[in-house]
Amino acid sequence: MPIKYYFPLLLLLFLVNSASAQNKYTLSGTIRDAGTGETLIGATVKITGATTAGTLTNAYGYFALTQAEGNYTVTISYTGYLSINKTINLTKDLKLNEELKTANDLAEVTVSANNRKNENVKSAQMGLERVDMKSLNSIPVLLGEKDILKTIQLLPGVKSGGEGNTGFYVRGGAADQNLIILDEAVVYNSSHLLGFFSTFNADAIKDVSLYKGGMPAQYGGRLSSVLDVKMDDGNNKEFKFQGGIGLIASRLKAEGPIVKDKGSFMVSFRRTYIDLFLRASPDSSINGSTLNFYDINAKANYKINDKNTIYISGYFGKDNIGVKDLFENNWGNVTTTIRLNHIFSDRLFSNTSLIYNNYNYTVRLLNDVTNFKATSLVRDFNFKEDFQYFSNKHTLRFGLNATHHRISPIDITTSQESQVNSLTQEKRYGLETAAYVSDEWAVTDKLNFLYGVRLAAFSLLGPGNFSQYSASGNILSTENVASGKFYKNYFNLEPRFSVSYLFNEENSVKASYNRNTQNIHILTNATSSSPTDQYVLSSNNIKPEIADQVALGYFKNLDENNYEFSGEVYYKWLQNQIDYKNAAQLLANSNVESELLYGSGRAYGLELFFKKKFGKLNGWVGYTLSRTERKFAALNNGNYFPARQDRTHDISVVGIYNLNKRWTFSSSFIYSTGNAVTFPAGKYVINNQTAYYYTERNGGRMPYNMRLDLSATLEGKNTGRFQSSWNFGVYNALARKNPYSIEFINDPKDPSRTVAEQTSLFGLIPSVTWNFKF
Amino acid sequence: MKKLIIYFSILSCLFASCKKIIEVDTNNAETQIVIEGKITDKLADQQILITKTVGYSDQNIFPKVSGATVIVTDDKGSKYTFIEKAAGVYVQAMRGIPGNTYSLNVNVNGKIYTASSKMPNNVKLDSIGVTTNSFFGNERKIAAAYLVDPVNETNFYHFNLYVNDLFSKRIYVSNDRLTNGNKLRTQLYYSENDDDDKGLKTGDKISIEMECIDSNIFDYWYALSQQSGRGPNQGTTPANPTSNISNNALGYFSAHTFQKLNVTVP
Repeated sequence: MPIKYYFPLLLLLFLVNSASAQNKYTLSGTIRDAGTGETLIGATVKITGATTAGTLTNAYGYFALTQAEGNYTVTISYTGYLSINKTINLTKDLKLNEELKTANDLAEVTVSANNRKNENVKSAQMGLERVDMKSLNSIPVLLGEKDILKTIQLLPGVKSGGEGNTGFYVRGGAADQNLIILDEAVVYNSSHLLGFFSTFNADAIKDVSLYKGGMPAQYGGRLSSVLDVKMDDGNNKEFKFQGGIGLIASRLKAEGPIVKDKGSFMVSFRRTYIDLFLRASPDSSINGSTLNFYDINAKANYKINDKNTIYISGYFGKDNIGVKDLFENNWGNVTTTIRLNHIFSDRLFSNTSLIYNNYNYTVRLLNDVTNFKATSLVRDFNFKEDFQYFSNKHTLRFGLNATHHRISPIDITTSQESQVNSLTQEKRYGLETAAYVSDEWAVTDKLNFLYGVRLAAFSLLGPGNFSQYSASGNILSTENVASGKFYKNYFNLEPRFSVSYLFNEENSVKASYNRNTQNIHILTNATSSSPTDQYVLSSNNIKPEIADQVALGYFKNLDENNYEFSGEVYYKWLQNQIDYKNAAQLLANSNVESELLYGSGRAYGLELFFKKKFGKLNGWVGYTLSRTERKFAALNNGNYFPARQDRTHDISVVGIYNLNKRWTFSSSFIYSTGNAVTFPAGKYVINNQTAYYYTERNGGRMPYNMRLDLSATLEGKNTGRFQSSWNFGVYNALARKNPYSIEFINDPKDPSRTVAEQTSLFGLIPSVTWNFKF
Repeated sequence: MKKLIIYFSILSCLFASCKKIIEVDTNNAETQIVIEGKITDKLADQQILITKTVGYSDQNIFPKVSGATVIVTDDKGSKYTFIEKAAGVYVQAMRGIPGNTYSLNVNVNGKIYTASSKMPNNVKLDSIGVTTNSFFGNERKIAAAYLVDPVNETNFYHFNLYVNDLFSKRIYVSNDRLTNGNKLRTQLYYSENDDDDKGLKTGDKISIEMECIDSNIFDYWYALSQQSGRGPNQGTTPANPTSNISNNALGYFSAHTFQKLNVTVP
């Protein structure tokens, strides 16, 4: 219903704007890095004269500002770059394509960055964290492999899945409730090597934004967060190479112009060589094992003319693990994005995207009688059309999106002598379509709105056999649906609303409400995720997951924006959450939907963030106080129970110290309450074995986690074109035994008693990496 | 896969021991009734055991429940009254028949617990033997049961393994969901305890018991097997397996066929 009223309203807005814009002109253009020609995302463009206005460049470096006729000074600035000031005479629509030079000196950085100050305070957007790709290089990580997923886990409101576990949790959401996109393509499995590394090779990444609340209307499809990762476009001025050699992986990136200043390409490759450690083993079974991953990022762009630019980008990654004569397992993502930027008018920017992505895995068991090959695939075709309209006080965004999903849950093929039967589980098809519109409105100098709505539709398509189940899981009826038929449709209206009010330049309060829905779900009843986790679509049994979030925040900057402080509180209601029956069999089960339980959830918390942005010493302190609970009629007597990732306290401290031009030291420290887990409250004997009796679901706590990581970077002497650096790291410098799992065993000293035995994964791990650039 | 994670972490565990005993904070639950009842197709003393739970921090001495009334009936009209042979051990000599549904009625101090289980058809345990697997460079001998799964029915199996008369503390349970109608070799991995899997040695005497169980009992064992040997943070979130006994009793009542074969490890 409301959408019917909404569209005419926006149309009206258009008309009002164009009607009053008679003596107004538009300044528009693209801002780039002077050295590489890379477009700069989120650079500030400010014009001062009779009136003052400012804007940020969009994801393609484009901006447009409309002001009354007159003389203005334009200031363009971006963190880490030297600002540009220009005088313009706005008597007609003007183009301003500028290139900013990097600031090499720290003092210069401070100066230039001050021109972009207080953006965090002013914008209506809440819950947004942008990862600075430059500081990423110096934050210490496991085995020296810099990693954006590991870095965002150091931010308040984002909880790590833990050592040896894929995934992260945002504001009480589950690991499958994060929308992770790489150049707009969904990356279903963002982990390599069972979760120790992410699929994002930092060399190839230009920009990372994480929305943990206040999701803008152009994003949809997942409940708890959006991680928007954008690849480098490639240097369009000269050929450049960079790479690194680390303990477990090496990287190489090449980039350069296709046609100077018009088009460029970038190719980046990474591969691990943990296999070599295995191969060094004298043991024939171990040296025949595989354990590696590689990935390739590639991108090319070409500016056809002033109005049209085309981008093609792709990602290909693969993990291989295997034990000789026992099993092989490989998995990986493929993404391809083709985009066309078209500028209809100075004020109307559009982007059309065609996206393909898939995630697949193969498991082979090589045992003589139970030998089989199992494969699984999730494949999406996605079409997106996004518009951005820049007006005087409004920035409008609207667009359409259609995604076709195909899920092949599992295909098992076996040999003649195998005791396992071949099996093909029915494929599932779904169509997600969405239309959205949003408006960023500077009502006054002090009041900003960002509001919009997204209409999300989901259709489960034939062909297929769809069953209804009784409470005990028996089939009540099965319907055979023909190919192309819409079997089940869901419509959800997702309102998004944020507002900021500035007390003054350095103080503001913000509030937001947003609804998100989700129609593709991971099924796993294991407490840690694995590459063979299964995806299902919403169906006649599975309802779309729904989350409503409200958040309130206070933002304050100090000392000329040298320090940023923010405090946010949030409350989130979750509907149609999924859990599992006892003894659920999820894999290769065509009646898997009979094994599910449906319930609700709630999450609330406080996040404090204090950041020092500049100077010799910079970094941040983040603290989260939170609670995450779930409720299912069939679990825990129908009472709320803590979700596994519920951690009361979460603290992270990151410090980076630039000693001089050559040495940079950094450290990160984390502390978090242990995961909520189920501990036995009693025990009994069954079939001559001790069995445990459980009362409260997730009523116990793992011991707390605490870790200090250190790193030091030594820049090589500047010898012209060739630059190199050494990175030394120590992971878990306190050598603390952090809990990975707990087992209950008979006390070795007194077998008639039970004790808890904790397993830890990593002790202290040193690392060294050599990076180069030429 | 879990093993690989552990294996990978060995790189780091060189620096420190990875396991330690810790204190956990958990409450001792109130005592619950535990009933374990089995009716087999062999003419023998069938046993119903009634015990109680103890608190987590208590000693592993499980109180026996005496003085209960235990009656088993079948759907053909027979009624068997069980007699307490030893404390908490209730017996009656009888033979179950595949296809019959058996019902249990237990009265403990006025509280009634009931359950029923249909004895499935017997599937012949053809033979047992020892196979050899290579696992991370170790040649390991593994006990195996051989049988032919009937194609026209859904079957559920539960095995017990004894090595030199010592009961293997693992749960061996399977169904024919992915293997229907095939010649099956079911490997039973032996471990004296979960950390230290020494495997079998030449000369070890092996016995394997095979039970054809009904689907509820399969769910019971399967739920228990997903938790056993692993703790929180691995496997599924632990919960009490769904019992087919009423009134919140723990345990199960199973009517199953029973076969046992012996072999010596070559």
